[in-house]
Amino acid sequence: MVQTISLHHVLQEAVATPYRNLVTRATGIAVRGRIEATLATGGGHTALLDFSGVDCLDMSCADEIVAKLLLAAASGDRVLVLTGVREEQREALEHVLAHHHLAVAACFRGSDAPDVLGWISGDAREAFADLRRRGSTDVLGLAARMTWPVQRAAVALDDLAGHRIAQPIAGVYHVVTVS
Amino acid sequence: MTRVVEVPAHFDDRSFDQFAAGFDTWPTEERVLLDARATQWASPYGLVGLLTAGQALSEARKERPLLTVPASDEVRRYWTRTGFFAHAAELFEVHGKVPRAAATGPSDVLLDVTPIRASEDIHEIVGKIQENAARILTGELGIEAKATMGFAMALSEACQNIVEHAGTSGWVAVQAYTFRRRLGRRVVVIAVSDAGVGFRRSLESTQARRFGDRWGDGSALEAALIQNVSRFRDPGRGQGLAGIKRYLSRWQGKISIRSGTARLAIVPAWDDDVPLVDHLPYFPGAQVQVTIPAQNAEP
Repeated sequence: MVQTISLHHVLQEAVATPYRNLVTRATGIAVRGRIEATLATGGGHTALLDFSGVDCLDMSCADEIVAKLLLAAASGDRVLVLTGVREEQREALEHVLAHHHLAVAACFRGSDAPDVLGWISGDAREAFADLRRRGSTDVLGLAARMTWPVQRAAVALDDLAGHRIAQPIAGVYHVVTVS
Repeated sequence: MTRVVEVPAHFDDRSFDQFAAGFDTWPTEERVLLDARATQWASPYGLVGLLTAGQALSEARKERPLLTVPASDEVRRYWTRTGFFAHAAELFEVHGKVPRAAATGPSDVLLDVTPIRASEDIHEIVGKIQENAARILTGELGIEAKATMGFAMALSEACQNIVEHAGTSGWVAVQAYTFRRRLGRRVVVIAVSDAGVGFRRSLESTQARRFGDRWGDGSALEAALIQNVSRFRDPGRGQGLAGIKRYLSRWQGKISIRSGTARLAIVPAWDDDVPLVDHLPYFPGAQVQVTIPAQNAEP
């Protein structure tokens, strides 16, 4: 089950103003608190954080919301995916994710295909792009498609699975779905 | 007795030390008169620095300082337009004719002199700045439109240092102007200043031992700006200044922070500033200046 959370709505509830900017650490803490409460009652396996309607995102808010939710998700089995992300928000997200050695799948506005943000190897990025373009496969399949040694393909897929950007089901790796 | 502190004729980050030297000791025992009669120009850094001086004296429970306004009618009008006098009236006994605020259209002032007291103020500031910033950054400075949000992000992070670390309120102002002396082209400048504890006291409990004998205002700035260290144990902290540096590196921008008796800057190729200056005249709190130059001409 996918649980979608509109950050714009949560922001307006949290700060009780019409602002569209996710800025300041205090705001990030307030927004994250509401998201955690929603997730605790929702029970979904995949949480979709929807950035539609959000303009500016600063480092402090990105850290408090996205990084800390990902760090918390790492100790459970929840998958977090970002959607509705603006290209202008990429920098803040990349910065805080890299800082914590985290990565996440993100759909940018105007695109249905997810991208990878954060701390992930070049091989894992290429593997993710291949899974997205040519569909799910196992280690041997990826190695063949990329003309990589099997070990290299295994490490790349393991990296994706470790960040919960791809899910192995019976040895076949699937890019996280958002619908 | 009254101590007269002259406001430099050209009051910016470079002449700020001359201004700070005028106080001799902090908080000075005498009543203070800030004499701006001869001031011909003040950068946003100068204006928020003046208010910081007034705030620091007020918080030290000293006698209300005096401020004589610039003799130049043009300078007074400009200071009025930036909102300076509206705040100065709360901190100083103002002497001299202050023009009434006139209705304004588009101007080089991207953000009036604005107090920062809490997180909500930063929401207000970021909300206000976006439209003006897009007009100036893309229209005048040749910075691509998508960088406008990065500018708002940098502004937000610079302001948050006050809310998170200063222990008191502060001020911010943003303005575009032509930087003739060092660059010969348009710049946008963010100036943020507070009268709080400063970087050294903020970081002392977690960093002083690591630096040992080297510990001081300069090494505290080095820890914060170069090493991205924060006083909080949360590993996510300390990314604000790092994010500002990253944004500025893309646009050949400069950040300079003065705190206590030191100033540290990340100096781009177009500037001849010294990266670290120590043993400056003491001034309370912290003063941050971010400068982004026009991209459409070689320096």
